Amino acid sequence: MQLLCLGLNHRTAPVEVRERFAVGTSKLGDAAIEITTMEGICESVVISTCNRTEYYLVAQGDSDAFGLLEAHLAHKTSHADSATPHFYRKERNEAARHLCRVVSGLDSMMLGETEIFGQVKQAYQSALGAGATSGTLNRLFQRAFGVGKKVRTETRIQEGSTSVGNVAVDLAEKIFGHLKDSEVMILGAGEMCRITAQSLVSRGARSIFVSNRSFERAEKLAADMGGSAVRFDEWQSVLERVDIVISSTGSPHALVHREDVEKARRARKYRPLFFIDIAVPRDIDPAVGEIEEVYLYDIDTLEQLADEARVRRQKQIEECERIIDAELAKLNLPGT
Amino acid sequence: MDRWLLITSTLFAAIGAAWGMISVNRGRRSLWTIVWMLGVFVCQFAFLGLRGKQHGTCPLIGYGEILVFLSWALTLFYLLVGSTYRISLLGVFTAPAVAVFQCIALLPGMLDEVPKKIENGNFWHEIHSSTSVLAYGALALSAVAGVMFLVLDRQLKEQHLKSGLFLNLPPIRTLLVSLERLQRVGGGLLTLGIIAGFLMPRADHRVLAHLLAALAVWSGYVLLTIIKLTRGLTGRRQALAVVILFILSLGVFAFV
Repeated sequence: MQLLCLGLNHRTAPVEVRERFAVGTSKLGDAAIEITTMEGICESVVISTCNRTEYYLVAQGDSDAFGLLEAHLAHKTSHADSATPHFYRKERNEAARHLCRVVSGLDSMMLGETEIFGQVKQAYQSALGAGATSGTLNRLFQRAFGVGKKVRTETRIQEGSTSVGNVAVDLAEKIFGHLKDSEVMILGAGEMCRITAQSLVSRGARSIFVSNRSFERAEKLAADMGGSAVRFDEWQSVLERVDIVISSTGSPHALVHREDVEKARRARKYRPLFFIDIAVPRDIDPAVGEIEEVYLYDIDTLEQLADEARVRRQKQIEECERIIDAELAKLNLPGT
Repeated sequence: MDRWLLITSTLFAAIGAAWGMISVNRGRRSLWTIVWMLGVFVCQFAFLGLRGKQHGTCPLIGYGEILVFLSWALTLFYLLVGSTYRISLLGVFTAPAVAVFQCIALLPGMLDEVPKKIENGNFWHEIHSSTSVLAYGALALSAVAGVMFLVLDRQLKEQHLKSGLFLNLPPIRTLLVSLERLQRVGGGLLTLGIIAGFLMPRADHRVLAHLLAALAVWSGYVLLTIIKLTRGLTGRRQALAVVILFILSLGVFAFV
């Protein structure tokens, strides 16, 4: 008996290769049970996310499980030959270790991210429900989930935000708490604005107002975000009611001046106001940040905070690996 | 016995403060703060109970007892502020204030060795004393929330976002809501205390001066509330006003 892992991920394969091998969430169980019908393969779990597709197998010691699976994938996708160089193959303890790293977010594009934990759990449950797993993979996956939890609670691998959008959202929550009572205005209709606003909406921000020189683009982004479009010469009036302003226009000079905010202060009853300036050149005059209740953050500061979080996470890898090794040593799993 | 209870309570507060601060420095929030504060409260309660029994009236005789009663009220409001509003780190900021007040109360001459029996206590006097000190407890906690706001506001403004303190402080808006609620509770209790004060017999001009000073403090809080409700106020000014008003309000006790 041996534990094997065949897979490809964002490091080994470009998206056009990954998408050919992607398996829909509802088909993970069927895919796993189909693999167990191959000669010499007793158990199987298929994991498929936007960044990886991986096959965990328990195979008899003398079988050519990798060869059989690759032939099966070649038949299913009609592309496996050209994809073969993108696959990685891991055996025994290395495969178990790899699964623990994946579950802990150490193999993710965004180091330490937590979404992968749920995705692997779902994949395992689909395989379990389809009857594709037994003693070895059940024990391995249960232990891997335990390791994932331990890594997250005992290290700082998930501490801090590593993207500009999430850093902005964290700061907004530090100012306003739950964002469900917060209103947001977007100046500009570019991609950065969309990403940052989406992060805010995903954490509950209530109303979105979009203002852009091209009113059509403002309307389109507003429709996408479930918000309202505002004509570009009217954004000052909206400033009186919003809590967060995200700005990323292509303007060559500052767009929001201290006087604009001063005018709105009285009507706002001096409530806190958070400006996120992700434009280069900057859209918001730095003098705006001197107003007492205004918190102004520009792209450099947000990127610096994201970089620092990434560095902090990198420093935690060694500690995470130590936990994984210690936990796997306790497992004493056949096939590893 | 009563002095040992106060020493124990002060030690609990000091340990709670130190423990909380060490946790914050390590970037974590200590769940033990509330346990230490419960210990503080029980010892304060026993101390005040014993002193009250010996006095035969509300234990607010002299600066020492007033400070302990104030610390008890501060702790009580911290514990009463429900889980939603018992905002993170409030205990870490409250515990040192309690420890300082009680250390002052333990200084020689602050507490009578043998509490005097008070004959013919007046109902309105007791209502005045107890509600006023309870009000000061709420106002003190409001000032604590104000200090927390000022710390967080400065860190956000200066973009110092890495400390354990920053990570564990509650959001700006939560602090402002708590500060306002405590200010209103304190203001309401102070109103009752002042009404009772004018109904109690006034033996000399010091009592009148004390009541007028309390009225001045009350007017300050009322003015602050009116400005906030009508014109609006930046969080920084509101927090500063609450802290300064509380410090000034302690001057009322000079006339006790």
